[in-house]
Amino acid sequence: MNATLTTCPYCGTGCNFYLIGDENDRLIGIEPAGKDPTSRGQLCIKGWDAHAFVHHHDRLKTPLLRCDGELQPCSWDTALQVIDQRLHKVSAQYGPDSLMFLSSAKVSNEENYLLMKLARAGYGTNNIDHCARLCHSSTVTGLMETLGSGAMTNSLNCFEDTDLVFVIGSNTTEQHPLIGSRILQAQQRGTKLIVADSRRIRLAGQADLHLRHQNGSDVALLNGMMRQILQDGLEDRAFIEQRTENFSAFRESLDSFTPEFAARISGLSPKQIIAAARTYAQAENAMIVFAMGITQHSHGVDNVRAVSNLALLTGNLGRPGTGINPLRGQNNVQGACDMGALPDVYTGYQRVSDPVAKQKFAAAWQKPLSDSPGLMATHAIKAAAKGEIRGMLILGENPMLSDANQKLVRKGLESLDFLAVIDIFPTETAQLADLVLPAACYAERDGTFTSTERRVQRGRKAVEPPGEARADWQILCELLQRRGIPADYADPAEIMAEIADLTPSYAGISYPRLEGNGLQWPCPSMEHPGTPILHEEQCTRGKGHFSPTIYRPPQELPDAEFPFLLNTGRTGIHWHTGSMTRRSHLLDREERNAFLEINPEDAGKLNIRERQQVRISSRRGTIEAGAMLTERVPPGQIFIPFHFAEGAANILTNNALDPESGIPEFKVCAVKVETC
Amino acid sequence: MLKQLTGKDLFELFDKLAVDYRLLVPGNLADDTRSLLPWDGQQLSLIGEPLQRKPTSHFFPQTDPLLTINSQGTTSLPDDNEKPLALCGLNREDLHGITFVDRFFSAVPADDAYLRKRTDALLIGLAGFAGADRQLLPLAEGHCDFELIYDQQKWLAVAYTATGEDWLTVYADGSAEQLEIIRQQARQRSTPEAELLQQASHLLQADQVPDIFWEEIAARCICCGGCNFVCPTCTCFCMQDRQTATGIERSRVWDSCQLDAFMREASGYNPLGTETLRTRRRIHHKLAADPHRWGELGCVLCGRCDRACPTGIGMFSICKEIVQQFGF
Repeated sequence: MNATLTTCPYCGTGCNFYLIGDENDRLIGIEPAGKDPTSRGQLCIKGWDAHAFVHHHDRLKTPLLRCDGELQPCSWDTALQVIDQRLHKVSAQYGPDSLMFLSSAKVSNEENYLLMKLARAGYGTNNIDHCARLCHSSTVTGLMETLGSGAMTNSLNCFEDTDLVFVIGSNTTEQHPLIGSRILQAQQRGTKLIVADSRRIRLAGQADLHLRHQNGSDVALLNGMMRQILQDGLEDRAFIEQRTENFSAFRESLDSFTPEFAARISGLSPKQIIAAARTYAQAENAMIVFAMGITQHSHGVDNVRAVSNLALLTGNLGRPGTGINPLRGQNNVQGACDMGALPDVYTGYQRVSDPVAKQKFAAAWQKPLSDSPGLMATHAIKAAAKGEIRGMLILGENPMLSDANQKLVRKGLESLDFLAVIDIFPTETAQLADLVLPAACYAERDGTFTSTERRVQRGRKAVEPPGEARADWQILCELLQRRGIPADYADPAEIMAEIADLTPSYAGISYPRLEGNGLQWPCPSMEHPGTPILHEEQCTRGKGHFSPTIYRPPQELPDAEFPFLLNTGRTGIHWHTGSMTRRSHLLDREERNAFLEINPEDAGKLNIRERQQVRISSRRGTIEAGAMLTERVPPGQIFIPFHFAEGAANILTNNALDPESGIPEFKVCAVKVETC
Repeated sequence: MLKQLTGKDLFELFDKLAVDYRLLVPGNLADDTRSLLPWDGQQLSLIGEPLQRKPTSHFFPQTDPLLTINSQGTTSLPDDNEKPLALCGLNREDLHGITFVDRFFSAVPADDAYLRKRTDALLIGLAGFAGADRQLLPLAEGHCDFELIYDQQKWLAVAYTATGEDWLTVYADGSAEQLEIIRQQARQRSTPEAELLQQASHLLQADQVPDIFWEEIAARCICCGGCNFVCPTCTCFCMQDRQTATGIERSRVWDSCQLDAFMREASGYNPLGTETLRTRRRIHHKLAADPHRWGELGCVLCGRCDRACPTGIGMFSICKEIVQQFGF
């Protein structure tokens, strides 16, 4: 028996566990890390089952090259030569910006850094992005503007110090179970809990106030609350005066958001909005927790601004038990952003348009660099469909199931001259590729991951990858070298040393220092202990900026033809496009098929019985799924998780994008439901 | 047989045991999680917190390959290990857990996959002042081949089986008086958890706990399955069939009765279709059904589910609430 300590591959909470291996180099179980400050000897059901997919027979084991229309095994040499030459050919013919690189929130910081370097230094384009575009790009854009940093301001142990938790648009017990459990425990100790969510999620059952506001009405709700706080004189005047700017303009912007007006838009009663305002503002220390319910809207950045305004207005920032706490989805989505797998920034959010930053990276990499920001992932798909992007390298992402409007994604990917995919399983996206490279999964390689509380932690190799599969960092080193960029790193620790050299917020991070409990960035020097709470003395940008917002409705609301509001998301059992969890026996058995949640009242009107297959259609497509009759969703709304290829919610969703962050409106579109 | 061993004796004993057995001894993993680790001739940490992973996992692992069916349709069993297991450092609760599971898997029809690993295994108990901060661990008085009892200076050793006696026979006799002192001190130690569970068990068997109580508990459950996975008396498993290079491999994997699919029928009907029903059933099984079936509670008081539950509703916590709300 052997036990290898590593970081969980699923959500951004950052739990640590041991992979238990047997004498035959096979993983047979999981043991939570007992002394780890995040997991504390506990895990969620996915964590307990995180070994289960590793040895699945579907794992990709050899490079595959499309010949005569079929993906066929080829050698690594051939595969690397093809990928290098084909990307180079597209670049030479159509220019570097005809290439797009999609990185992954599932791979390590080092691997994100290398792909970012390959795109920028190897091919001269800033066209690099990853799935943060689909989850928290609104957060990064919004909080960068208001605070100067897009990350969770506080730490997970702050749930033990708070008087109130306001959860808006986060199904925390299912999506970040070990954070949801801290909220439940806090509530049991007497911490007040406000939940704003149209669905009756588990936390709602324990909440002092559950606000079932209409999807997409967050700005109205939050502005209504803030106007009421000012009306009652519950704002933190000293904080506003000393720590913030632009308050007057912000206050004026709230004039029209009377409780009645906010109630009309949100579907709540004025009393509920007033009660929420008073409860939140009267707490000594209050934490706001949010996730996709806030961000995945065509006005996602405005939602984030409103959240930020609420914390600034009440001075809930920079202290234990307070803060603006976006919960990051993937285990390394924070790190992928930190590593500059984004079109407009290098590592540590250093802007490509900043000549000083550009000069620094150009000197380090000995390559000329572009200073024009690249394409966002969501724009790149549209550009590919129009023939403007001709070559794409996708590392560990499955946009065929994860992006809005699958028909458009398919058109975009099928229009490419060349598509290469690096992954661990033959995903729906890999099926469309010209070349597929087999990668090692989390249990088969070393690296670091950055959790939602900005904690940089080690991932450790426990077993060998299957067949000829290689670690992503090894594959990327080969590709860098073929572009004439030295990449003879002995191990990921050497890559981290280069990252630390170029990244002020990671400057104090090194592998030896990460032993133990990791380090929370910013960690600007080798002596620095890390930063559990941001914005303590002042905000990263200096003054906290009040950013006024107006209410804008979602882009597609129910009408006579498509009378239901479709809300999409995830369940607690499966992970995203299901490539790992649907190959984990216990998880697969728990939720086997595509389903939709529908209120019994609506089901009754449509003569739909429990588990009956129904047809759901939007303006973009049609799927079938089994009905689950539940009061979790309000009448008029259905909820479909996007895990299931055979009933893919994203065939239906609307890729109406937020104009600033490029995030699609996953949380609202109009559909109709019919019996099959 | 009562013997006494010095620290040096212990090391020599373990070296000898490791010739015949795959010997696992308590040690600390990278983050100081206490675990059973292969004896390497040097690292030994007998004294400390309870082992985190249940020792029954060595005989009933989380993933347990049972057989492989090859392309010709013939089946083969997994290769036997050359040596049987020896587990050292098991406290009274750990040993009760193994005894409980032994009885379950040995009952007709006996479970050959379990017995293949368990039959020749050696169990070494741990008692005396060997808990966290030298806390006194009560003697198991059986349930193992021999038990090591720390008296703060040396190790007393009591054998309970012929195999245990064989291993200890070469050592000097121990002091019966010293052993009795430790026994007496252990008896004086209060065991509030045991009393709590008995009270809760009586209340459950007398049907004094209403459904609303289980609704409130279930509302605080995040369905992680941890209570089952860490429980040394939980024995439920499901079957996993997987294609391998040589055929189809059938394994059993730990199941959790807190999962919806645990009892869901193919029709979709689920007699345990709510978390409330599942939570109620799980506790009833341990505290009401097991006393009928086995004559004792299905909880060995190890405290693992209370430590592993992210929301604080492990067995002790639930029983405390039951007794507080419905006790006399």
